Amino acid sequence: MSAAHYADVARAFQARGDAPAWLQAIREEGLSQFQARGLPTSKDEEWKYTPVATLSSHPFQPVRDVSAGEDVAQAVARLALPGPRLVFVDGRFVPALSVLTGLPRGVVLKPLSQALREDGALLQETLGQLSRPSAHAFTSLNAALLEEGALLTLAPRALSEVPVQLLFLARGGDGPVLASPRIVVVAGEGSEATLVETYAGLGSGATFTNAVTEVSLGDNASLRHFKLQAEGDTALHLGGLYSRQGRDSRFQSHAFSFGGALARNEVHAAFAGEGGECVLNGLFVGRGTQHLDNRTDLDHAVPRCSSRELYKGVLDDRARGTFHGKIRVREDAQKTDASQTSRNLLLSEGAQVDARPQLEIFADDVKCAHGTAVGRLDDNALFYLRSRGIPKVDAERMLTQAFASELVRAVPEGPVRARVEALLAGKLPGSAEVMG
Amino acid sequence: MASLLSIQDLHARVGGKDILKGINLEVGAGEVHAIMGPNGSGKSTLAGVLAGRETYEVTKGSVLFDGKDLLGTPPEERAKAGVFLGFQYPVEIPGVGNLHFLRTALNAQRRAKGEEELDAMDFLALAKEKAKLVQLDAAFMNRSVNEGFSGGEKKRNEIFQMAVLQPRLGLLDETDSGLDIDALRIVAGGVNALRSKDRALVVITHYQRLLDYIVPDHVHVMAAGRIVRSGGRELALELEEKGYGWIGAEGAAAGKAKEARP
Repeated sequence: MSAAHYADVARAFQARGDAPAWLQAIREEGLSQFQARGLPTSKDEEWKYTPVATLSSHPFQPVRDVSAGEDVAQAVARLALPGPRLVFVDGRFVPALSVLTGLPRGVVLKPLSQALREDGALLQETLGQLSRPSAHAFTSLNAALLEEGALLTLAPRALSEVPVQLLFLARGGDGPVLASPRIVVVAGEGSEATLVETYAGLGSGATFTNAVTEVSLGDNASLRHFKLQAEGDTALHLGGLYSRQGRDSRFQSHAFSFGGALARNEVHAAFAGEGGECVLNGLFVGRGTQHLDNRTDLDHAVPRCSSRELYKGVLDDRARGTFHGKIRVREDAQKTDASQTSRNLLLSEGAQVDARPQLEIFADDVKCAHGTAVGRLDDNALFYLRSRGIPKVDAERMLTQAFASELVRAVPEGPVRARVEALLAGKLPGSAEVMG
Repeated sequence: MASLLSIQDLHARVGGKDILKGINLEVGAGEVHAIMGPNGSGKSTLAGVLAGRETYEVTKGSVLFDGKDLLGTPPEERAKAGVFLGFQYPVEIPGVGNLHFLRTALNAQRRAKGEEELDAMDFLALAKEKAKLVQLDAAFMNRSVNEGFSGGEKKRNEIFQMAVLQPRLGLLDETDSGLDIDALRIVAGGVNALRSKDRALVVITHYQRLLDYIVPDHVHVMAAGRIVRSGGRELALELEEKGYGWIGAEGAAAGKAKEARP
């Protein structure tokens, strides 16, 4: 497989000719960008550690229809949080399992397919505005196949106290399946909400999820974004989160990356107005031969914004992980207060992590701190626990959980944290549970 | 009656360096033994070897606990059999709650004995009762294991753990070092409360002061990896008077004599 395969897939998709002209233009631009960029290679600095060939290992294709049987209903029952939700299987919206009641005034949630028909004016202004400039080939491919996903809009001062959930199940069909969800969040001035994107596997089919989320925060708005990625052990997952924050706004991204043979989690956050606050948290936990990439890019383009970034990795067996975090402080961005920390725990000799902080600071009156650490479980602590009668594997589990707990506790107490804890428990040493 | 702990000709090394060079020691149930000696004599190594610290390599000798070989078993199995080490330097473990840790340990030991596990409520009641022994308050128990504890708090936490786990053999490695007199009294009070006819205690110390508060049945002096003198409490008093200087010379001489043999 190669770039040509994906280009063929996109061309066939676009030949359906069922889209309005403006949407068709976005798709065609996506395809031409995809072709111009080509698939990334390991010579590409951004993809240096990623086994890029895996991304074209099967002839992945979008599916037109899915059936949502008992397996899907059970997965939804297991994974869904209380409150409004949209459920997708292999990239297709499943209305029967979605819940659209209980949305507060001023909060609108709908599948993107519906929004493309009803909200053309808004989407023409927003789609791709954040993701296009720093896009790579797969972001372009997502645009070329733009069709489904979600639109969440918050009217000025709208307040959603219940988390809004998007649940993406990767099942795989007769052949290898490509899902390309696009999520658009437009938060009006002073609005506040929590969005949870959950990605999980269903069965053992070959699946490739290539998701793009674009978040636009108005002045003084606040969004907490949680991504719980727990796809199956053979799944491929690429996710790009792009945010732009207005004046005095607060944005939090909490990315939990547990599943996938290859999963790459990207966050591109930018400040567009003064006084903004941004938290980028991430926890990735891999074992077997999992490869978990984390790429963050934080753009301090304006003065007086603060950012706190903490990524932790736990890698066992022969799993591999990367953290590549860039912070750019532009010349005008005086009084920036930024910190970035990457801490990594290796549980076996064969596990590996590449942690690379990258700070580009062009302003002179700023506070920027960063730190990177890679270590193993502390032998003294292990012996201490075992000397009290705690079996070795349980001691390793306790210490690993303790290492991860900082990021779990950063999630407010409630159903989201409970879900994170349950997913994490299945990934700790001594746990035989298989993701999915 | 057979000894609870029987150490025969124990040799051990760490990082290629011989530290223990032939320890012989018999400890019976109900007895309190003090092991004294200068820095570097091998006291802490002995405690670590008995508790199963993997950095030590036993090269010769045997250790029987309740008639069974101890050296071949991992630390957690020794703990389940009833061996407890009070650490010279208790380890700080951020993110692991003190109570969660201790309940996990107690329940692992109870499972091994075929006893029912304690639920959180019952355990809390037990912990509160035992905490009084060393005057630990509840807020303290909810913090991460030893994190941010003062030296005295850490040592009190060790004795608190021993009180909850009720071992058959308590090895207290320099539990008195670095404590001011008030903390020492509290710690010693806790230890004395745990003396019983079924339990043996081996108190390792550098300072005679501890033995004013914990009165041993037997005193042993270690030097250069061997026990060079054993006696009653009066031996400790002799050390107090003369210091370790004469013991060091005697121990070194004994070592040379032994090495000279074919």
